[in-house]
Formats: sequence, structure tokens, C-alpha cells
Amino acid sequence: MEAVVKNVFRYLFKGAARNWARNLGGNAPALSSMALLLFLTGLIGLSGFALMNLEQIQAGEASVLHVYLRDDADATDMFNLRNQLARDPRVASVNFTSKAQALQHAQSIPGLPQLASASESNPFPASFDVQVKSVDQVAAIDAMARTNPAVDPTYPTSYDRGAYQRIQAVLLGVAIAGIAFLAVLGFVAVMVTVNSIRAAIHSRRDEVAILQLVGAPRWMVRGPFIVEGAITGSLAGAAAGLVTFGLALAGIAEGSASFSQFAPGVTISVAAVAGAIVFATGLGLGSGSSLLSVRRHLES
Amino acid sequence: MTFLVGPSGAGKTTLLKLINREIRPTQGEVWIDGLAAHDLKASRVAELRRRVGVVFQDYKLLPRLNARENVALALQVSDLRVSDQEARERALDALEAVGLGDRGKSMPNELSGGQQQRVAIARAVVCQPPLLIADEPTGNLDMDTGWAIMDLLEDISAFGITVLIATHNIEIVTRLQRRVLTLVDGRLVRDQPAGQTGRMAWLASS
Repeated sequence: MEAVVKNVFRYLFKGAARNWARNLGGNAPALSSMALLLFLTGLIGLSGFALMNLEQIQAGEASVLHVYLRDDADATDMFNLRNQLARDPRVASVNFTSKAQALQHAQSIPGLPQLASASESNPFPASFDVQVKSVDQVAAIDAMARTNPAVDPTYPTSYDRGAYQRIQAVLLGVAIAGIAFLAVLGFVAVMVTVNSIRAAIHSRRDEVAILQLVGAPRWMVRGPFIVEGAITGSLAGAAAGLVTFGLALAGIAEGSASFSQFAPGVTISVAAVAGAIVFATGLGLGSGSSLLSVRRHLES
Repeated sequence: MTFLVGPSGAGKTTLLKLINREIRPTQGEVWIDGLAAHDLKASRVAELRRRVGVVFQDYKLLPRLNARENVALALQVSDLRVSDQEARERALDALEAVGLGDRGKSMPNELSGGQQQRVAIARAVVCQPPLLIADEPTGNLDMDTGWAIMDLLEDISAFGITVLIATHNIEIVTRLQRRVLTLVDGRLVRDQPAGQTGRMAWLASS
């Protein structure tokens, strides 16, 4: 058993590592292009994750309908409206904001304290803040609520019309552009790796022929080339993963407040997972590319 | 020991390649030690090649390995259970048998053509295959060295290994008086038993 392990290690891994180091010049283009691809993959992946979180936040905000109440609204009408909204299966929750709470909130918004103090009375109405389950159903709830007698007829409701759709459109565009960019870069990286393994096969064709003639099994002839590809991929993945993790870490450490605003949800553990995924992708891409090359260019 | 003779392009090398499954026949069957070489899946070709030792005109030694390592390589790649020590001992035994017991650490470029061919023969027989095929084994050697190699192949044959040699060398064929198969245009045109090879004047004119 010990001899088997030793021989497999020698002929599969040690040989591949030695050949990879000997052919460093030939492997450098594949290594650098794959590292670049993986780094951009990590960056785009983290950005995508942040954008998804942003979308969730925006979707949550866009699905809040504010129903403004008349100052002289009858308590029974208000009670009935609240019950009607709360019982609706499309509604997740209904919260009441009093005039005083509305004023307090307005005073925390830049520009509004002056407006609030300009008036002798409190100009902000009480409201029901209705959290609708789906952003698509906000308009229907709005249509139902605005005709209620307890609702202010001048300024009955407010919600962020179309904001969510705009974000989705932007996200879709970004996703398509990102995927297309990564596909082109991925194709280039795979082709460069395939060709570097092809060159390695060509330069060692005599050695390959001798191994085949002395009865080396197929995996022993092909395996070292696949391991060489895996070395290229894992080194590129490790470098790109570390850079991705480092950049995210620097972003989190340097400006935690602003960073969490434009990249919500990106924490140290998320950055670490992103780095690990980048490494695993590199390993898979390198092994896969060399397997492709071996199947195409190495006769059995 | 059997000689395979014929003019250039007769198909001698092609036949050896068919035996070793370097090429697959478009028709017909090739049976080697109970294995159907013509019908063998790519994943099982190595199994066949472990039963066939091969010697080439240009030796085909790995230049980065010394003589002993070249021989040991054949042992270990065909059977991973062979330990380093066992491979070393068996490789040295094989080198001893071909008269190179003291050159185990020599690199191929430090050896003469004849010595390199001996290493190649040691590598071919170290796994004790039932069949040894040799394609022009004396083609790159002077006459004296060529005879020494033929003596060695005869000794191997005497140990019970079938030796099939493709050659152009009439002198060797006529002097050794072994079985001779003659190919012309890919067809077996003559099968002369050992001791009845005659002067083979036809071969001299080919």
C-alpha cells in the first residue's frame, strides 16, 4: 500500500509539479489570465451579492404604502380602515404613526426641520404605514385605501412608484453585462490554459510515447497534465481569492459606514466565502481546461 | 526467435505497431497472449503493452533518467505495488543480465549506442513479458555491436521469451538460421522454418 501511494504521488503529483515549474514560462500567460478572470469574478460576485441585498432593501421600502389620515377623522372610521387593511391577505403588517411621531421623524430628515418649525401647528398627518407582501400589489391596496372616509382626500397616500422596477431594470442590465464580460474572459482563460497544456504535451511527446510503450495506464499518462492545469488554476485562484478577500476586508475596515451603505451585506465572512469560491473556481477551471486539452491533443 | 523481413514499405513496422496496438487494424484480428489487440478499448491498451516488450532502433530512453531509473520506470508504471527498493534491485539485475551492471547510474548521453540499446532491452524484459518485439534493433549500430545485441536477444529467446525482430540485415538473418517471415506489400509471402533460410539472395536485391 505504501509503495502504491508513493508511486502515485511520484508519477502523478511530483512529476506534474516538477514539469509545471520547468514550464513556468509557458504557464505564465495562463496563470495571469486566469488570475485576472478569477479576481474579476470575485469582484463581480461580491458586487452582485451587494446589489441583490440592495434590491431586497429597496423592494422592502418600495412595498410600504403610507395612508395619510384626515386630522378630523372619526375614530371608528380609522379603526375600520385599520381592520380592513390588516385582514387583507396581501398585507403583511399595519403600523400607526401619530402626528407627533410624524413630526419627530420629519425633524430627523435634512431640510425638513425648518419646514416643520415654520408652521405654528404640526403640518404632518397621522398615517397607517402598510407593509404590502409584494411590491406589485401596492397599487391595488392604494386604490382600495384612498377612498376611505378616514383618509385625507387632498393627499391620501404615498409610495415609491416605479422605483423597484427601475432598480430591477438596472440590476438586469448589470447582470447581463457582467455575465457577458465574464463569459468572454472565461473563454479566453480556458483557451489560453488549453493551449499551454497542448504545448506541454507537444514538448513532452517523446516522454509520453515512452510511458505508453512501457505500459503506463492511461491515467498515469494523462493525469500529470491535468494536475498541471489544476496547479495553474489553484495558484491563480489562490492569488485572486486573496486579493478579493483583501479588498473586501480593506473596504469593511476603512469605511465601515459608507461601505455597508453601497455594499450592504458584505461582511468578513461573506468576503472569506467569496475568496474560497474564487479559489475553488480556479481549481475547477484549471483542471477542466487541461482535461479538455488532454482529451483533444493526447492520443491514447 | 523469429525474423520479420521484407523490402522497405512491406509492412514490417506496421505489423509490429499492430501487435503493440500503436495502431488499430482496419480489418482482421490480432491476438497477443490471449488478448484481442484489435478489439481492445483504449483504457485496456496498457494491459496489452505490459505483455509486449519493445525495442526500437533509436532506443527511446528518457534522457533525464539514468540507466537504472529507465529500467525501473517500466517496472513501476506497469505495477504500482513495486517498491523503490524492489524496482532498484530488479532493474540492476536486468542491467546485469545485459552486461551493464556497473553502468546503472550512467545517463543515456554517457552511454554508447550499443550500451543504450542494452538498457532498452533490459527495460523491455524487466517485466518478463511473453513477447519481445524489436524494430531494426541493430540499425544504428556497427557490425560488432550489432552482433553483440543479437547474441543478447538470442539469450533472451533461450529463456522462453518469444522474440520477433524486424530487420534489413541479411547477414544476421542468414547466419542465425532462425525462422523467417517474409512480408511483401503487407502480405506474408514466405514462412521459412529455422535452419532453412538459405542464402536469401532475393533479400539482397530488395
